[in-house]
Amino acid sequence: MREKLIVEGLSHHYPDEYTGMDIHALDNVNLKVTEGEFAAVVGPSGCGKTTLLNILAGLLPHKVGSVRVDGHEVKGPGPDRGVVFQEHAILPWRTVERNIGHGLEIQGLPAPERKRRVQEFVDLVGLTGFENRYPHELSGGMKQRVALARTLCANPVVMLMDEPFAAVDAQTRITLQEELNRIAIATRKTILFITHNVDEAAFLGDRCFIFTRRPGKLKATVKINLPRESRVWKNAVADPAFTGARDEILSLVREEVRDDDG
Amino acid sequence: MTTVSAPAAPARRDRKHPRLHRFLHQGGLELACVLLGGLALWSFLSHVVIPRPDRYLPSPGSVVFSSADMLWKGLLPDFVTNTVWRLLIGSGLGLGVGIPFGILLGLNRTVSDMFYPILNFFQSISGIALLPIVMIWWGTSEQTVIFVILYTVLFPISFNVLVGVRSIPRIYINALRTLGASRLQIARDVILPGALPSIATGARLGIGFGWRAVIAGEMLAGQRGLGWMIFTAQQVDLTAQVILGMTLIGIMWIVLDRYLLRPLEADTIQRWGLVQR
Repeated sequence: MREKLIVEGLSHHYPDEYTGMDIHALDNVNLKVTEGEFAAVVGPSGCGKTTLLNILAGLLPHKVGSVRVDGHEVKGPGPDRGVVFQEHAILPWRTVERNIGHGLEIQGLPAPERKRRVQEFVDLVGLTGFENRYPHELSGGMKQRVALARTLCANPVVMLMDEPFAAVDAQTRITLQEELNRIAIATRKTILFITHNVDEAAFLGDRCFIFTRRPGKLKATVKINLPRESRVWKNAVADPAFTGARDEILSLVREEVRDDDG
Repeated sequence: MTTVSAPAAPARRDRKHPRLHRFLHQGGLELACVLLGGLALWSFLSHVVIPRPDRYLPSPGSVVFSSADMLWKGLLPDFVTNTVWRLLIGSGLGLGVGIPFGILLGLNRTVSDMFYPILNFFQSISGIALLPIVMIWWGTSEQTVIFVILYTVLFPISFNVLVGVRSIPRIYINALRTLGASRLQIARDVILPGALPSIATGARLGIGFGWRAVIAGEMLAGQRGLGWMIFTAQQVDLTAQVILGMTLIGIMWIVLDRYLLRPLEADTIQRWGLVQR
Protein backbone atom coordinates (compact mmCIF):
# COMPACT_ATOMS: atom_id res chain seq x y z
CA MET A 1 0.00 0.00 0.00
CA ARG A 2 1.36 3.36 -1.00
CA GLU A 3 1.46 6.29 1.33
CA LYS A 4 -0.44 9.19 -0.20
CA LEU A 5 -0.03 11.71 2.60
CA ILE A 6 3.07 11.97 4.77
CA VAL A 7 3.47 14.55 7.52
CA GLU A 8 6.88 14.67 9.22
CA GLY A 9 8.04 16.81 12.11
CA LEU A 10 5.37 19.45 11.48
CA SER A 11 5.28 22.29 14.00
CA HIS A 12 3.47 25.57 13.74
CA HIS A 13 3.37 28.85 15.64
CA TYR A 14 1.31 31.92 14.92
CA PRO A 15 0.62 35.21 16.67
CA ASP A 16 -2.83 35.53 18.23
CA GLU A 17 -5.07 37.79 16.19
CA TYR A 18 -5.99 40.07 19.10
CA THR A 19 -3.31 39.82 21.76
CA GLY A 20 -0.38 39.21 19.42
CA MET A 21 0.80 36.49 21.79
CA ASP A 22 2.60 33.55 20.25
CA ILE A 23 0.39 30.49 19.90
CA HIS A 24 2.03 27.11 19.59
CA ALA A 25 -0.58 25.27 17.57
CA LEU A 26 1.18 22.12 16.41
CA ASP A 27 4.18 20.35 17.87
CA ASN A 28 6.18 17.80 15.90
CA VAL A 29 3.29 16.04 14.22
CA ASN A 30 4.09 12.84 12.33
CA LEU A 31 1.47 10.85 10.47
CA LYS A 32 0.94 8.83 7.32
CA VAL A 33 -2.21 8.05 5.39
CA THR A 34 -2.10 5.19 2.92
CA GLU A 35 -3.88 4.94 -0.39
CA GLY A 36 -7.63 4.42 -0.06
CA GLU A 37 -7.51 4.82 3.70
CA PHE A 38 -10.06 6.77 5.70
CA ALA A 39 -8.16 8.51 8.49
CA ALA A 40 -10.05 10.39 11.18
CA VAL A 41 -8.43 13.06 13.33
CA VAL A 42 -9.99 13.80 16.74
CA GLY A 43 -8.94 16.09 19.51
CA PRO A 44 -10.30 18.61 21.99
CA SER A 45 -11.36 21.93 20.50
CA GLY A 46 -8.48 24.30 19.95
CA CYS A 47 -5.98 21.46 19.53
CA GLY A 48 -4.84 22.70 16.15
CA LYS A 49 -6.94 20.35 14.01
CA THR A 50 -8.05 23.12 11.70
CA THR A 51 -4.53 24.56 11.60
CA LEU A 52 -3.33 21.12 10.50
CA LEU A 53 -5.94 20.97 7.77
CA ASN A 54 -5.14 24.46 6.51
CA ILE A 55 -1.47 23.54 6.29
CA LEU A 56 -2.24 20.31 4.44
CA ALA A 57 -4.53 22.23 2.08
CA GLY A 58 -1.71 24.71 1.45
CA LEU A 59 -3.79 27.66 2.64
CA LEU A 60 -1.39 28.23 5.53
CA PRO A 61 2.34 28.08 4.84
CA HIS A 62 4.45 25.96 7.19
CA LYS A 63 8.06 26.57 8.10
CA VAL A 64 8.96 23.57 10.26
CA GLY A 65 8.61 20.00 9.06
CA SER A 66 7.38 18.56 5.81
CA VAL A 67 4.07 17.67 4.21
CA ARG A 68 4.09 15.47 1.13
CA VAL A 69 1.18 14.42 -1.02
CA ASP A 70 1.92 11.68 -3.50
CA GLY A 71 5.61 12.38 -2.99
CA HIS A 72 5.38 16.12 -3.69
CA GLU A 73 6.06 18.72 -1.01
CA VAL A 74 3.05 20.95 -0.34
CA LYS A 75 3.86 24.58 -1.17
CA GLY A 76 0.40 26.04 -1.68
CA PRO A 77 -3.14 25.06 -2.57
CA GLY A 78 -3.51 22.66 -5.47
CA PRO A 79 -6.00 20.38 -7.15
CA ASP A 80 -4.18 17.28 -5.82
CA ARG A 81 -5.82 18.01 -2.45
CA GLY A 82 -9.56 18.56 -2.32
CA VAL A 83 -11.06 20.24 0.71
CA VAL A 84 -14.58 20.03 2.12
CA PHE A 85 -14.99 22.86 4.58
CA GLN A 86 -16.93 23.14 7.81
CA GLU A 87 -19.12 26.00 6.65
CA HIS A 88 -20.92 26.25 3.38
CA ALA A 89 -18.21 27.09 0.93
CA ILE A 90 -20.20 26.55 -2.22
CA LEU A 91 -20.96 29.63 -4.28
CA PRO A 92 -24.52 31.01 -3.87
CA TRP A 93 -24.58 32.40 -7.40
CA ARG A 94 -23.90 29.05 -9.05
CA THR A 95 -26.42 26.28 -9.49
CA VAL A 96 -25.77 22.84 -8.01
CA GLU A 97 -24.48 21.62 -11.35
CA ARG A 98 -22.15 24.56 -11.91
CA ASN A 99 -20.81 24.35 -8.35
CA ILE A 100 -20.03 20.67 -8.71
CA GLY A 101 -18.36 21.17 -12.08
CA HIS A 102 -16.35 24.19 -10.92
CA GLY A 103 -13.12 22.27 -10.37
CA LEU A 104 -13.33 20.73 -13.83
CA GLU A 105 -14.13 24.15 -15.31
CA ILE A 106 -10.98 25.52 -13.68
CA GLN A 107 -9.00 22.61 -15.05
CA GLY A 108 -10.33 23.50 -18.50
CA LEU A 109 -12.23 20.31 -19.24
CA PRO A 110 -14.48 20.70 -22.32
CA ALA A 111 -18.17 21.20 -21.56
CA PRO A 112 -19.61 17.90 -22.87
CA GLU A 113 -17.08 15.81 -20.94
CA ARG A 114 -17.62 18.01 -17.88
CA LYS A 115 -21.37 17.59 -18.04
CA ARG A 116 -21.04 13.82 -18.11
CA ARG A 117 -18.68 13.78 -15.11
CA VAL A 118 -20.84 16.22 -13.15
CA GLN A 119 -23.94 14.09 -13.68
CA GLU A 120 -22.06 11.07 -12.35
CA PHE A 121 -21.31 12.87 -9.08
CA VAL A 122 -24.73 14.51 -8.84
CA ASP A 123 -26.15 11.00 -8.89
CA LEU A 124 -23.51 9.66 -6.50
CA VAL A 125 -24.37 12.16 -3.76
CA GLY A 126 -28.11 11.78 -4.37
CA LEU A 127 -28.90 15.21 -5.81
CA THR A 128 -30.50 14.01 -9.04
CA GLY A 129 -33.24 16.44 -9.99
CA PHE A 130 -31.64 19.36 -8.15
CA GLU A 131 -29.03 20.17 -10.81
CA ASN A 132 -30.42 23.61 -11.58
CA ARG A 133 -31.23 24.75 -8.07
CA TYR A 134 -29.36 27.52 -6.29
CA PRO A 135 -27.78 26.77 -2.89
CA HIS A 136 -30.31 28.92 -0.98
CA GLU A 137 -33.02 26.59 -2.20
CA LEU A 138 -31.31 23.59 -0.57
CA SER A 139 -31.22 22.30 2.99
CA GLY A 140 -27.99 22.36 5.00
CA GLY A 141 -27.40 18.67 4.39
CA MET A 142 -27.88 19.07 0.65
CA LYS A 143 -25.44 21.95 0.55
CA GLN A 144 -22.79 19.74 2.12
CA ARG A 145 -23.56 17.07 -0.46
CA VAL A 146 -22.86 19.67 -3.15
CA ALA A 147 -19.58 20.61 -1.45
CA LEU A 148 -18.62 16.94 -1.24
CA ALA A 149 -19.48 16.31 -4.89
CA ARG A 150 -17.56 19.42 -5.99
CA THR A 151 -14.44 18.14 -4.26
CA LEU A 152 -14.82 14.56 -5.52
CA CYS A 153 -15.55 15.68 -9.07
CA ALA A 154 -12.18 17.45 -9.33
CA ASN A 155 -10.62 14.03 -8.59
CA PRO A 156 -8.01 14.94 -5.96
CA VAL A 157 -5.33 12.51 -4.74
CA VAL A 158 -6.27 13.18 -1.13
CA MET A 159 -9.53 14.51 0.21
CA LEU A 160 -9.35 16.71 3.33
CA MET A 161 -12.52 17.22 5.32
CA ASP A 162 -12.84 19.77 8.11
CA GLU A 163 -15.81 18.86 10.35
CA PRO A 164 -18.08 18.88 7.32
CA PHE A 165 -21.16 17.70 9.23
CA ALA A 166 -20.76 19.89 12.32
CA ALA A 167 -23.37 22.40 11.20
CA VAL A 168 -26.20 20.04 10.25
CA ASP A 169 -28.86 18.59 12.55
CA ALA A 170 -28.37 15.20 14.21
CA GLN A 171 -30.72 13.25 11.94
CA THR A 172 -29.14 14.61 8.78
CA ARG A 173 -25.68 14.02 10.19
CA ILE A 174 -26.35 10.29 10.63
CA THR A 175 -27.56 10.01 7.05
CA LEU A 176 -24.61 11.96 5.71
CA GLN A 177 -22.16 9.80 7.65
CA GLU A 178 -23.61 6.63 6.14
CA GLU A 179 -23.63 8.27 2.72
CA LEU A 180 -20.02 9.34 3.05
CA ASN A 181 -19.05 5.80 4.00
CA ARG A 182 -20.80 4.49 0.90
CA ILE A 183 -19.14 7.13 -1.29
CA ALA A 184 -15.72 6.39 0.21
CA ILE A 185 -16.19 2.72 -0.69
CA ALA A 186 -17.36 3.57 -4.19
CA THR A 187 -14.60 6.06 -5.00
CA ARG A 188 -11.76 4.43 -2.99
CA LYS A 189 -10.55 7.92 -2.08
CA THR A 190 -7.81 8.60 0.42
CA ILE A 191 -9.47 10.75 3.08
CA LEU A 192 -8.32 12.73 6.09
CA PHE A 193 -11.37 13.62 8.12
CA ILE A 194 -11.20 16.09 10.99
CA THR A 195 -13.85 16.05 13.68
CA HIS A 196 -14.41 16.58 17.38
CA ASN A 197 -17.18 13.99 17.36
CA VAL A 198 -15.81 10.68 18.70
CA ASP A 199 -18.73 8.58 17.40
CA GLU A 200 -18.26 10.03 13.96
CA ALA A 201 -14.53 9.27 13.97
CA ALA A 202 -15.05 5.67 15.10
CA PHE A 203 -17.88 5.12 12.64
CA LEU A 204 -16.08 6.44 9.58
CA GLY A 205 -12.38 5.87 10.17
CA ASP A 206 -10.14 2.94 9.34
CA ARG A 207 -7.76 4.54 11.76
CA CYS A 208 -8.21 7.39 14.14
CA PHE A 209 -5.48 9.86 15.14
CA ILE A 210 -6.04 11.38 18.56
CA PHE A 211 -4.47 14.76 19.22
CA THR A 212 -3.47 16.31 22.53
CA ARG A 213 -4.68 19.74 23.46
CA ARG A 214 -2.54 22.68 22.41
CA PRO A 215 0.18 22.45 21.32
CA GLY A 216 -1.32 19.66 19.25
CA LYS A 217 0.72 16.47 19.17
CA LEU A 218 -0.25 13.04 18.00
CA LYS A 219 -1.24 11.30 21.23
CA ALA A 220 -2.33 7.89 19.98
CA THR A 221 -3.57 6.01 16.94
CA VAL A 222 -6.55 3.69 17.23
CA LYS A 223 -7.36 1.15 14.55
CA ILE A 224 -11.02 0.42 13.96
CA ASN A 225 -11.51 -3.16 12.84
CA LEU A 226 -14.95 -2.80 11.37
CA PRO A 227 -15.37 -3.67 7.71
CA ARG A 228 -16.50 -0.60 5.76
CA GLU A 229 -19.34 -2.52 4.17
CA SER A 230 -20.97 -3.24 7.52
CA ARG A 231 -20.88 0.35 8.76
CA VAL A 232 -24.51 1.20 9.23
CA TRP A 233 -25.53 2.98 12.42
CA LYS A 234 -28.23 0.45 13.23
CA ASN A 235 -25.67 -2.38 13.41
CA ALA A 236 -22.60 -0.45 14.49
CA VAL A 237 -24.02 0.56 17.88
CA ALA A 238 -24.18 -3.12 18.84
CA ASP A 239 -20.88 -4.17 17.26
CA PRO A 240 -18.00 -4.57 19.74
CA ALA A 241 -15.50 -3.59 17.03
CA PHE A 242 -17.18 -0.19 16.88
CA THR A 243 -18.05 0.30 20.53
CA GLY A 244 -14.62 -0.87 21.68
CA ALA A 245 -12.84 1.58 19.38
CA ARG A 246 -15.23 4.37 20.28
CA ASP A 247 -14.73 3.88 24.02
CA GLU A 248 -10.97 3.77 23.60
CA ILE A 249 -10.95 7.00 21.56
CA LEU A 250 -13.35 8.63 23.98
CA SER A 251 -11.23 7.89 27.03
CA LEU A 252 -8.12 9.19 25.23
CA VAL A 253 -9.89 12.42 24.30
CA ARG A 254 -11.43 12.77 27.77
CA GLU A 255 -7.96 12.73 29.33
CA GLU A 256 -7.18 15.87 27.37
CA VAL A 257 -10.43 17.60 28.21
CA ARG A 258 -10.33 16.66 31.93
CA ASP A 259 -6.93 18.28 32.38
CA ASP A 260 -8.37 21.41 30.93
CA ASP A 261 -11.26 21.52 33.39
CA GLY A 262 -9.01 20.86 36.40
CA MET B 1 -34.94 28.41 4.56
CA THR B 2 -37.20 27.80 1.59
CA THR B 3 -39.81 30.38 0.89
CA VAL B 4 -43.25 28.93 1.20
CA SER B 5 -45.72 31.13 -0.58
CA ALA B 6 -49.22 31.03 0.76
CA PRO B 7 -51.71 29.79 -1.81
CA ALA B 8 -53.27 32.77 -3.56
CA ALA B 9 -56.91 33.38 -2.88
CA PRO B 10 -58.64 31.70 -5.84
CA ALA B 11 -61.25 34.43 -6.13
CA ARG B 12 -58.62 36.99 -7.02
CA ARG B 13 -57.92 35.40 -10.41
CA ASP B 14 -61.49 35.82 -11.55
CA ARG B 15 -61.58 39.54 -10.98
CA LYS B 16 -62.12 41.66 -14.04
CA HIS B 17 -59.30 44.09 -13.40
CA PRO B 18 -56.53 42.22 -11.59
CA ARG B 19 -54.01 45.05 -12.02
CA LEU B 20 -56.32 47.66 -10.63
CA HIS B 21 -57.16 45.34 -7.80
CA ARG B 22 -53.50 44.73 -6.95
CA PHE B 23 -52.85 48.48 -7.10
CA LEU B 24 -55.63 49.17 -4.66
CA HIS B 25 -54.45 46.43 -2.36
CA GLN B 26 -50.88 47.67 -2.23
CA GLY B 27 -51.87 50.96 -0.68
CA GLY B 28 -52.81 52.51 -4.02
CA LEU B 29 -56.09 53.75 -2.63
CA GLU B 30 -54.40 55.56 0.25
CA LEU B 31 -51.86 57.06 -2.16
CA ALA B 32 -54.63 58.28 -4.46
CA CYS B 33 -56.41 59.88 -1.49
CA VAL B 34 -53.26 61.67 -0.39
CA LEU B 35 -52.58 62.90 -3.94
CA LEU B 36 -56.14 64.12 -4.45
CA GLY B 37 -56.13 65.80 -1.05
CA GLY B 38 -52.85 67.50 -1.87
CA LEU B 39 -54.18 68.70 -5.21
CA ALA B 40 -57.35 70.02 -3.57
CA LEU B 41 -55.36 71.91 -0.95
CA TRP B 42 -53.08 73.31 -3.64
CA SER B 43 -56.08 74.49 -5.73
CA PHE B 44 -57.71 76.01 -2.70
CA LEU B 45 -54.55 77.92 -1.73
CA SER B 46 -54.02 79.08 -5.28
CA HIS B 47 -57.59 80.15 -5.99
CA VAL B 48 -58.67 81.49 -2.62
CA VAL B 49 -55.78 82.30 -0.29
CA ILE B 50 -52.77 83.47 -2.29
CA PRO B 51 -52.80 86.89 -3.96
CA ARG B 52 -51.40 86.98 -7.50
CA PRO B 53 -51.30 83.15 -7.85
CA ASP B 54 -49.75 83.34 -11.32
CA ARG B 55 -46.62 84.69 -9.75
CA TYR B 56 -46.54 82.87 -6.38
CA LEU B 57 -48.51 79.65 -6.70
CA PRO B 58 -50.25 78.88 -9.99
CA SER B 59 -53.12 76.40 -9.77
CA PRO B 60 -52.73 72.79 -10.93
CA GLY B 61 -54.80 73.72 -13.96
CA SER B 62 -52.38 76.36 -15.16
CA VAL B 63 -49.45 73.98 -14.65
CA VAL B 64 -51.21 71.43 -16.86
CA PHE B 65 -51.94 74.16 -19.38
CA SER B 66 -48.31 75.23 -19.38
CA SER B 67 -47.16 71.67 -20.00
CA ALA B 68 -49.63 71.29 -22.86
CA ASP B 69 -48.29 74.50 -24.33
CA MET B 70 -44.69 73.36 -24.08
CA LEU B 71 -45.52 69.94 -25.45
CA TRP B 72 -47.16 71.60 -28.41
CA LYS B 73 -44.07 73.65 -29.09
CA GLY B 74 -41.87 70.53 -28.76
CA LEU B 75 -39.77 72.06 -26.02
CA LEU B 76 -40.67 69.63 -23.25
CA PRO B 77 -39.64 66.40 -25.01
CA ASP B 78 -36.46 68.15 -26.03
CA PHE B 79 -35.56 69.19 -22.46
CA VAL B 80 -36.44 65.80 -21.02
CA THR B 81 -34.27 64.01 -23.58
CA ASN B 82 -31.38 66.37 -22.87
CA THR B 83 -31.50 65.73 -19.16
CA VAL B 84 -31.84 61.96 -19.47
CA TRP B 85 -28.96 61.75 -21.93
CA ARG B 86 -26.67 63.73 -19.66
CA LEU B 87 -27.59 61.47 -16.75
CA LEU B 88 -26.97 58.32 -18.77
CA ILE B 89 -23.59 59.43 -20.11
CA GLY B 90 -22.40 60.86 -16.80
CA SER B 91 -23.56 57.85 -14.79
CA GLY B 92 -22.16 55.43 -17.36
CA LEU B 93 -18.76 57.06 -17.09
CA GLY B 94 -19.03 57.21 -13.30
CA LEU B 95 -19.85 53.52 -13.05
CA GLY B 96 -17.18 52.66 -15.60
CA VAL B 97 -14.53 54.30 -13.45
CA GLY B 98 -16.05 53.57 -10.02
CA ILE B 99 -16.66 49.82 -10.30
CA PRO B 100 -13.08 48.80 -11.21
CA PHE B 101 -11.76 51.35 -8.71
CA GLY B 102 -13.97 49.96 -5.93
CA ILE B 103 -12.89 46.40 -6.71
CA LEU B 104 -9.24 47.41 -6.58
CA LEU B 105 -9.79 49.13 -3.23
CA GLY B 106 -11.69 46.12 -1.90
CA LEU B 107 -9.00 43.67 -2.90
CA ASN B 108 -5.96 45.51 -1.68
CA ARG B 109 -5.66 46.86 1.87
CA THR B 110 -2.60 48.92 1.05
CA VAL B 111 -4.28 50.68 -1.84
CA SER B 112 -7.46 51.32 0.13
CA ASP B 113 -5.59 52.66 3.16
CA MET B 114 -3.79 55.02 0.82
CA PHE B 115 -6.91 56.28 -0.97
CA TYR B 116 -9.46 56.22 1.85
CA PRO B 117 -8.73 59.65 3.39
CA ILE B 118 -8.62 61.24 -0.05
CA LEU B 119 -11.92 59.63 -0.98
CA ASN B 120 -13.45 60.74 2.27
CA PHE B 121 -12.27 64.30 1.66
CA PHE B 122 -13.80 64.48 -1.80
CA GLN B 123 -16.97 62.75 -0.70
CA SER B 124 -17.72 65.77 1.48
CA ILE B 125 -17.44 68.14 -1.46
CA SER B 126 -20.73 67.82 -3.27
CA GLY B 127 -20.89 68.01 -7.03
CA ILE B 128 -22.44 71.47 -6.79
CA ALA B 129 -19.51 72.77 -4.75
CA LEU B 130 -17.28 71.50 -7.53
CA LEU B 131 -19.21 73.30 -10.26
CA PRO B 132 -17.48 76.71 -10.01
CA ILE B 133 -14.01 75.29 -10.59
CA VAL B 134 -15.20 73.05 -13.43
CA MET B 135 -16.92 76.06 -15.00
CA ILE B 136 -13.64 77.94 -14.85
CA TRP B 137 -12.08 75.09 -16.83
CA TRP B 138 -14.79 74.34 -19.37
CA GLY B 139 -17.39 77.11 -19.08
CA THR B 140 -21.09 76.38 -19.54
CA SER B 141 -20.67 73.31 -21.66
CA GLU B 142 -21.91 69.76 -21.92
CA GLN B 143 -18.56 68.61 -20.56
CA THR B 144 -19.05 70.55 -17.34
CA VAL B 145 -22.43 69.01 -16.55
CA ILE B 146 -21.30 65.50 -17.41
CA PHE B 147 -18.15 65.81 -15.35
CA VAL B 148 -20.17 66.84 -12.31
CA ILE B 149 -22.47 63.83 -12.71
CA LEU B 150 -19.49 61.51 -13.10
CA TYR B 151 -17.96 62.96 -9.96
CA THR B 152 -21.21 62.57 -8.03
CA VAL B 153 -21.77 58.95 -9.08
CA LEU B 154 -18.18 57.94 -8.44
CA PHE B 155 -18.20 57.96 -4.61
CA PRO B 156 -21.31 55.99 -3.76
CA ILE B 157 -20.42 53.34 -6.32
CA SER B 158 -16.77 53.08 -5.24
CA PHE B 159 -17.63 52.81 -1.55
CA ASN B 160 -20.36 50.27 -2.13
CA VAL B 161 -18.19 48.08 -4.30
CA LEU B 162 -15.35 48.37 -1.79
CA VAL B 163 -17.61 47.14 1.01
CA GLY B 164 -19.14 44.51 -1.25
CA VAL B 165 -15.78 43.03 -2.18
CA ARG B 166 -14.62 43.07 1.44
CA SER B 167 -17.71 41.25 2.65
CA ILE B 168 -17.25 38.28 0.31
CA PRO B 169 -16.64 35.36 2.69
CA ARG B 170 -12.99 34.40 2.74
CA ILE B 171 -14.02 30.75 2.58
CA TYR B 172 -15.29 31.16 -1.01
CA ILE B 173 -11.87 32.32 -2.07
CA ASN B 174 -10.12 29.56 -0.13
CA ALA B 175 -12.44 26.93 -1.58
CA LEU B 176 -11.56 28.07 -5.07
CA ARG B 177 -7.86 28.14 -4.32
CA THR B 178 -8.03 24.52 -3.20
CA LEU B 179 -9.72 23.70 -6.50
CA GLY B 180 -6.60 25.08 -8.16
CA ALA B 181 -8.05 28.40 -9.37
CA SER B 182 -5.73 31.19 -10.52
CA ARG B 183 -6.09 34.78 -9.31
CA LEU B 184 -7.86 35.69 -12.51
CA GLN B 185 -10.30 32.80 -12.14
CA ILE B 186 -10.99 33.83 -8.54
CA ALA B 187 -11.66 37.40 -9.66
CA ARG B 188 -14.02 36.20 -12.39
CA ASP B 189 -15.86 33.49 -10.45
CA VAL B 190 -15.91 34.88 -6.90
CA ILE B 191 -15.07 38.57 -6.64
CA LEU B 192 -17.16 39.86 -9.52
CA PRO B 193 -20.36 37.88 -8.88
CA GLY B 194 -19.90 38.29 -5.12
CA ALA B 195 -19.75 42.06 -5.50
CA LEU B 196 -22.64 42.23 -7.96
CA PRO B 197 -25.39 42.93 -5.40
CA SER B 198 -23.40 45.83 -3.98
CA ILE B 199 -22.60 47.03 -7.49
CA ALA B 200 -26.36 47.13 -8.11
CA THR B 201 -27.04 48.93 -4.83
CA GLY B 202 -24.21 51.36 -5.42
CA ALA B 203 -25.40 52.06 -8.95
CA ARG B 204 -28.91 52.78 -7.71
CA LEU B 205 -27.63 55.13 -5.02
CA GLY B 206 -25.12 56.76 -7.36
CA ILE B 207 -27.61 57.36 -10.13
CA GLY B 208 -29.97 58.82 -7.51
CA PHE B 209 -27.33 61.36 -6.53
CA GLY B 210 -26.49 61.82 -10.21
CA TRP B 211 -30.10 62.75 -10.91
CA ARG B 212 -29.86 65.61 -8.43
CA ALA B 213 -26.49 66.61 -9.82
CA VAL B 214 -27.73 66.81 -13.40
CA ILE B 215 -30.51 69.22 -12.40
CA ALA B 216 -28.16 71.39 -10.36
CA GLY B 217 -25.54 71.27 -13.09
CA GLU B 218 -27.99 72.33 -15.75
CA MET B 219 -29.15 75.26 -13.63
CA LEU B 220 -25.69 76.72 -13.44
CA ALA B 221 -23.83 75.41 -16.42
CA GLY B 222 -26.28 73.84 -18.80
CA GLN B 223 -27.97 74.76 -21.99
CA ARG B 224 -31.48 73.31 -22.23
CA GLY B 225 -32.62 70.44 -20.06
CA LEU B 226 -35.07 70.38 -17.16
CA GLY B 227 -32.76 72.12 -14.68
CA TRP B 228 -32.10 74.90 -17.14
CA MET B 229 -35.82 75.13 -17.85
CA ILE B 230 -36.87 75.78 -14.26
CA PHE B 231 -33.96 78.14 -13.67
CA THR B 232 -34.69 80.31 -16.69
CA ALA B 233 -38.44 80.18 -16.09
CA GLN B 234 -37.86 81.66 -12.66
CA GLN B 235 -35.99 84.59 -14.17
CA VAL B 236 -38.99 85.52 -16.33
CA ASP B 237 -41.64 84.76 -13.68
CA LEU B 238 -43.03 81.68 -15.45
CA THR B 239 -43.93 80.08 -12.14
CA ALA B 240 -46.18 77.44 -13.71
CA GLN B 241 -43.21 76.22 -15.69
CA VAL B 242 -41.07 76.07 -12.56
CA ILE B 243 -43.62 73.84 -10.85
CA LEU B 244 -44.00 71.74 -13.98
CA GLY B 245 -40.23 71.16 -14.07
CA MET B 246 -40.10 70.16 -10.42
CA THR B 247 -42.98 67.75 -10.83
CA LEU B 248 -41.41 66.14 -13.87
CA ILE B 249 -38.10 65.67 -12.05
CA GLY B 250 -39.86 63.78 -9.28
CA ILE B 251 -42.04 61.68 -11.56
CA MET B 252 -39.19 60.74 -13.88
CA TRP B 253 -37.08 59.60 -10.94
CA ILE B 254 -39.86 57.37 -9.63
CA VAL B 255 -40.25 55.78 -13.06
CA LEU B 256 -36.48 55.30 -13.48
CA ASP B 257 -36.07 53.86 -10.00
CA ARG B 258 -39.08 51.59 -10.09
CA TYR B 259 -38.74 50.17 -13.57
CA LEU B 260 -34.99 50.09 -14.11
CA LEU B 261 -32.88 50.39 -10.99
CA ARG B 262 -34.90 48.45 -8.41
CA PRO B 263 -35.52 45.40 -10.60
CA LEU B 264 -31.81 45.33 -11.40
CA GLU B 265 -30.94 45.29 -7.72
CA ALA B 266 -33.64 42.85 -6.69
CA ASP B 267 -32.78 40.44 -9.49
CA THR B 268 -29.22 39.74 -8.46
CA ILE B 269 -29.90 39.78 -4.76
CA GLN B 270 -33.02 37.65 -4.70
CA ARG B 271 -32.06 35.11 -7.31
CA TRP B 272 -29.02 34.11 -5.32
CA GLY B 273 -30.76 34.30 -1.98
CA LEU B 274 -28.20 36.77 -0.68
CA VAL B 275 -30.67 38.49 1.59
CA GLN B 276 -32.93 37.00 4.20
CA ARG B 277 -36.47 37.51 3.13
